[in-house]
Amino acid sequence: MGELLTGSQILCRALLEAKVDLLFGYPGGAIMPFYHALPEFPGLRHVLVRHEQAAAHAADGYARSSGRVGVCVATSGPGATNLVTGLATAHMDNTPVVAITGQVPRAMIGRDAFQETDIIGITQPITKHNRLVEDVEELADAVREAFAVALEGRPGPVLLDVPKDVQNQKAEWTSPRAERPRAIPAPFGVGDRAAGVQEAARLVAEAERPLIMAGHGVILSGAYDELRRLAERAGIPVITTLLGISALPESHPLHLGMPGMHGEVHVNRAIQQADLIIGLGLRFDDRVTGNLAAFARGAKVIHVELDPCEIGKNVPVTVGLVGDAREVLTELLAAVAQRDCEAWRGEIAALMRPRVESFRGGLSPESILGAIDQATDGRCTIVSDVGQHQMWVAKFFPYRRPNTHITSGGLGTMGFAVPAAMGVALARPDEPVWAISGDGGFQMNMQEIATMVQERIPVKMAIFNNGYLGMVRQWQQFFHGRRYSATPIWSPDYVKLADAYGIPGWRVESAAQMDEVLRAALVQPGPALVEFLIEQEANVFPMVPPGASLSEAIESAEPTAPAPPPGPKLVRV
Amino acid sequence: MTGGHAVTVLLEDRLITFNRAVGLIRRRNLPVRSIAVGPTTTPGVSRLTFMIQSDEATAIRAVQQLQKVIGVREAAAFATQDGVARELALVKVRAAADRYAELLDVVQLYHASVIDDTPDAVIVELTGSEAFVLSCIRALERFEILDVARSGAIAIEAGLTAEHRVPANL
Repeated sequence: MGELLTGSQILCRALLEAKVDLLFGYPGGAIMPFYHALPEFPGLRHVLVRHEQAAAHAADGYARSSGRVGVCVATSGPGATNLVTGLATAHMDNTPVVAITGQVPRAMIGRDAFQETDIIGITQPITKHNRLVEDVEELADAVREAFAVALEGRPGPVLLDVPKDVQNQKAEWTSPRAERPRAIPAPFGVGDRAAGVQEAARLVAEAERPLIMAGHGVILSGAYDELRRLAERAGIPVITTLLGISALPESHPLHLGMPGMHGEVHVNRAIQQADLIIGLGLRFDDRVTGNLAAFARGAKVIHVELDPCEIGKNVPVTVGLVGDAREVLTELLAAVAQRDCEAWRGEIAALMRPRVESFRGGLSPESILGAIDQATDGRCTIVSDVGQHQMWVAKFFPYRRPNTHITSGGLGTMGFAVPAAMGVALARPDEPVWAISGDGGFQMNMQEIATMVQERIPVKMAIFNNGYLGMVRQWQQFFHGRRYSATPIWSPDYVKLADAYGIPGWRVESAAQMDEVLRAALVQPGPALVEFLIEQEANVFPMVPPGASLSEAIESAEPTAPAPPPGPKLVRV
Repeated sequence: MTGGHAVTVLLEDRLITFNRAVGLIRRRNLPVRSIAVGPTTTPGVSRLTFMIQSDEATAIRAVQQLQKVIGVREAAAFATQDGVARELALVKVRAAADRYAELLDVVQLYHASVIDDTPDAVIVELTGSEAFVLSCIRALERFEILDVARSGAIAIEAGLTAEHRVPANL
């Protein structure tokens, strides 16, 4: 008879076995046995967040920046439901996260007990897998399954719901079985990849106007080198989607930029004129394609994607290659012949035009982002929130190294940046991590400054404050007759807020202050906050109206609607 | 039913796994005509059959999505005309004494059978395609139908199984 452990001890030991050393969480009634056991396992560092949503985002940020599984822990009921937005974010962007929730004791399940929710039912559509652990004997294997499922194939979040009495039950520790019982069926309806690769190579050789569109799959598989080599071998210009940004350095001569709703005009025109699109690890999201019926009508599509469900889902595909981007790219590299597409690149170059300045004055998003790049000498990771600043960060920061741009793409979760940056900072202790938010998104999770202080997590926070929910305001300007309904947003004095949390804070109102403040923020050993007062009605240009084709873009703020109704005067601290 | 597909799933016979499979079809907003579930010859494994009114690409995508569900062993799809689909119905009918013989005639005409006979009502069992079952129920409507229970269709593909004739590169 081996040593008897409690379910909580088994859980901790299984986490260590899965090479976990960091958890983000928040205790509560139904998870207390786990927290009781935790101090016995010094290899598991626990970061106490201020809201469970932040635990999920931090685990997500950690996973995106480390390539490992991020782990978050919450109690039953409200603790578990607070994880939901974070899990949905990870699910949409395919991040490997394992969430562990306490549940009421088994005998109470289904009786609407105190702090009981059916978190399995709630999270079913937003997790890759979830499981109620019904007996301590299943627990170690359930943890092993959770980590394997989170990482294998197309990654995603997994939730384990562990009733309180299971955490207290005793059992022997069981070592992993030699083989995992789960057989992954061969994808239904998928053709032979080797033949597909040959066909793809033939299409590349024949194309006159080929384009590569690189998505998150390239980053997830670390196929940076393979992407660059394929592009260089055939001289094909490369577009990176929002989640593909930094897969190829911005300065690479073949790099074109970001496509879609806020893509540069020449990037979208290139898509519309292409005769071949090589989509690598992306799902042709509606923000990328615009009106599907008018998307790249002259182009054949080669779609490389790990998940066969994505192939042909949105865009008709000529050749679908199911597999990890890196593996398939390696095969393509062996098959694609050397060529150059000089004439085509010349055509695209002729479509380029000078960028429309976002607004008057010196404190433009471009200049702020350029200054951050300068101050860090390009050695930093940018975690952005959602909204106008997210698009500026995507378009204007000169990413030099792979996977240095982290953002909530699919779900578009405001409030993501600050907590996610905590996870990124813990995964990348050797470089500055900047959480860039608008004044709206920052206020959604600014309570996490306390976590950073308590846990010494040195996130540098930048707030682009325009006094509005800027992206919504921009839509109201263009599509709702400038009726700025519920978009003016008051902010506290962020410098005083920083002071209240005991961290340094600065307000930057002119370009002249910028470099000095950024340098001061960067030399701080701990977290720091910098507020940038930017133009209130700055817009993200160009903009393809929702539902329009990529060929139709709004490129400037010509008055398109009657003058705004008298609204509340904006209060700015 | 033309243009329809049967999607069949072999999966763990746990409610949570059924829930996942059905939830997936619901989330994808597929036009489902019927769902049936029952045990298989393998202990612990059930067979779930969705009859969906969709084109082939949609059916294949449903199968690919179902294959990703943990607990699903196998999933396949075929056009209904490429297989056999049957459902069972139990119909409780009340017929006045003077029309009892007429009721038995209808039952015989549809190769159905009376499986319970009380002074107040009889229970008729019938099996066939969806169209056949509906037609029989219509025929029984000339009497007084008290209750109808339909199983939803189960289906099996004729000849070779689906993986032998999938389009390449989809």
